[in-house]
Amino acid sequence: MLQKRTRKLKKRLARMLVLSMMAGIAGLGMGCRRGFGKEAQGKVKVVASIYPVYDFVQKVGGDQVAVLMLVPSGTEPHTWEPSSRDMLVLEEADMFVYNGAGMEAWAEDITQSVQNKDLMIVEASCEVELLKIDHDEDHEEDHDEEGHHHHGEFDPHVWLSPENAKIEMRTIMEALKKADPEHAEIYEKNFQAASQECDKLDAEYRAALSPYEGKHIVVAHEAYGYLCHAYGLEQIGIEGVSADQEPDAARMREIIDMAKEYGIKCIFFEELVDPKVAKTIADEAGCQTAALSPLDGLTQEDIDSGREYFSVMRDNLNSILKAFA
Amino acid sequence: MPSIFYYAYMQRALLVGFLLALLVACLGTVMVHKRLSLIGDALSHSSLAGVALGLLGGFNPVIGAMAACVVAAFAIEGIRKKLGNHSELAVAIVLSTGIGLAGVMSGFVKSSADFNSFLFGSIVAISKFETRLVIVLAVVVLFSFFLLYKELFYISFDEQAAAISGVPVGLVNAIFTILTAVTVSIAARTVGALIVSSLMVVPVAGAMSVARSYKSTIVWSAVISVSSTIGGLVLSFYCGLKPGGTIVLISVLWFLLLHIWKWAAGAKTIGKGA
Repeated sequence: MLQKRTRKLKKRLARMLVLSMMAGIAGLGMGCRRGFGKEAQGKVKVVASIYPVYDFVQKVGGDQVAVLMLVPSGTEPHTWEPSSRDMLVLEEADMFVYNGAGMEAWAEDITQSVQNKDLMIVEASCEVELLKIDHDEDHEEDHDEEGHHHHGEFDPHVWLSPENAKIEMRTIMEALKKADPEHAEIYEKNFQAASQECDKLDAEYRAALSPYEGKHIVVAHEAYGYLCHAYGLEQIGIEGVSADQEPDAARMREIIDMAKEYGIKCIFFEELVDPKVAKTIADEAGCQTAALSPLDGLTQEDIDSGREYFSVMRDNLNSILKAFA
Repeated sequence: MPSIFYYAYMQRALLVGFLLALLVACLGTVMVHKRLSLIGDALSHSSLAGVALGLLGGFNPVIGAMAACVVAAFAIEGIRKKLGNHSELAVAIVLSTGIGLAGVMSGFVKSSADFNSFLFGSIVAISKFETRLVIVLAVVVLFSFFLLYKELFYISFDEQAAAISGVPVGLVNAIFTILTAVTVSIAARTVGALIVSSLMVVPVAGAMSVARSYKSTIVWSAVISVSSTIGGLVLSFYCGLKPGGTIVLISVLWFLLLHIWKWAAGAKTIGKGA
């Protein structure tokens, strides 16, 4: 009798457990839906791939556009891949803006598999003069080959020079004008304001860095090619152009020796890449470490606290100056 | 060519590599005999889930990793007993759970840097704190290993017989489970999950092809494991190879060479006998 009852109780308990698990999973699925909300009505719906492009679209589009960022904030974009939920967002969007130049290896797959016929696809970097990834300098061995598997031959981090940021914003403005001719004037005006800000930033960089021409900076991954090119600096990357790889012992030795040789005072790490390697090298070479953001993924906290392209670029300038001082 | 001992990061890599190789080989010998050779994989993935939990719950991720590892290790022990003949499935089930949990929870972790640092420990970037931690761990684990040597030996081969002849199987298993879990969680963070899970199995497999006794299996595993680690670090330092992969491949090479040697030796004795 008692046995029968416990068995019954057990059965009921098991049933409840299974049901609540199913309910939980279903609830998760419903809660996760993301897309353009009601406030997007009447605006140009733009999906931007990564943070710099997202920020540029907001700067040019202002209140006339609703922007969603595809790569979630705080995520290293080199290793990200779109999910089916992300594809759904694209189906209801008017425009997809991506950086291009090999930054988003998945962009081509997306643009080919999306069914939305009215989707306007914009490659923000299409007017930028791209820099080739140099294989000879600072890399006697060609061991950075494998690091470039999804990057192709060009350095994709174009936005790190203010001049290029301006070019990308112009491309975005032209696209927005085409998509929404009614508000063309507003886009033009927003662009002019941002463009002036770019010139100002450029002037600040030029003035501050001109005494240090030819100096070296050691960075976590070689993202600063355009910045260095524009202001006469040289970058030494712990890793190649793509982040997140284990360094080998020989490369570490090379960088430690170079840091000592050039009298480098600071090793830069990125917020989204573990600073362990940078710290080890800094300890060995007797220098400090500091954060330098390649801007490819700000965390949500950064965005909420009002950081954006110009403020981060200015923080970067200060960090670089401190390293030289 | 500069000396490999000139750089402090290489000194740390060699020391930590040596100690962990020794530890993992000892633990691996027991695990392989208990038919739990993939336990390193399962535990390192579970520790990742613990890291995510720590980052989300706001407590120290290292403690999260250790706790998750211990829970996972006991789950393997528990499931293993329920499954009887298919005990190796216990590892696969816990492995899947670990990967699944880590995958889902990583989606909620805001900064990928925190997370990745636990996923990809690197043997050439070990901090002073981690060095000290590994030294303490090595002392504790090696001491318990030799203290429990006879009991472990008995349990490895026949758990039931061990229990009948008075070995406190439950207690010894529990101690050993905790030691393994803690070692894997620390080692995965320090040198990377790849090195831990491989060195737990491959050197033992190589050793079993030549060793004639339990003791010599342990000695051979330790020799193979340590020499692969040191060899991999030297190659990485002078030839610019990735350290983790190189270490694992050298241990696989050991396995192949020992098997060929055994086969050749076997052929010779057969030839003599005929």
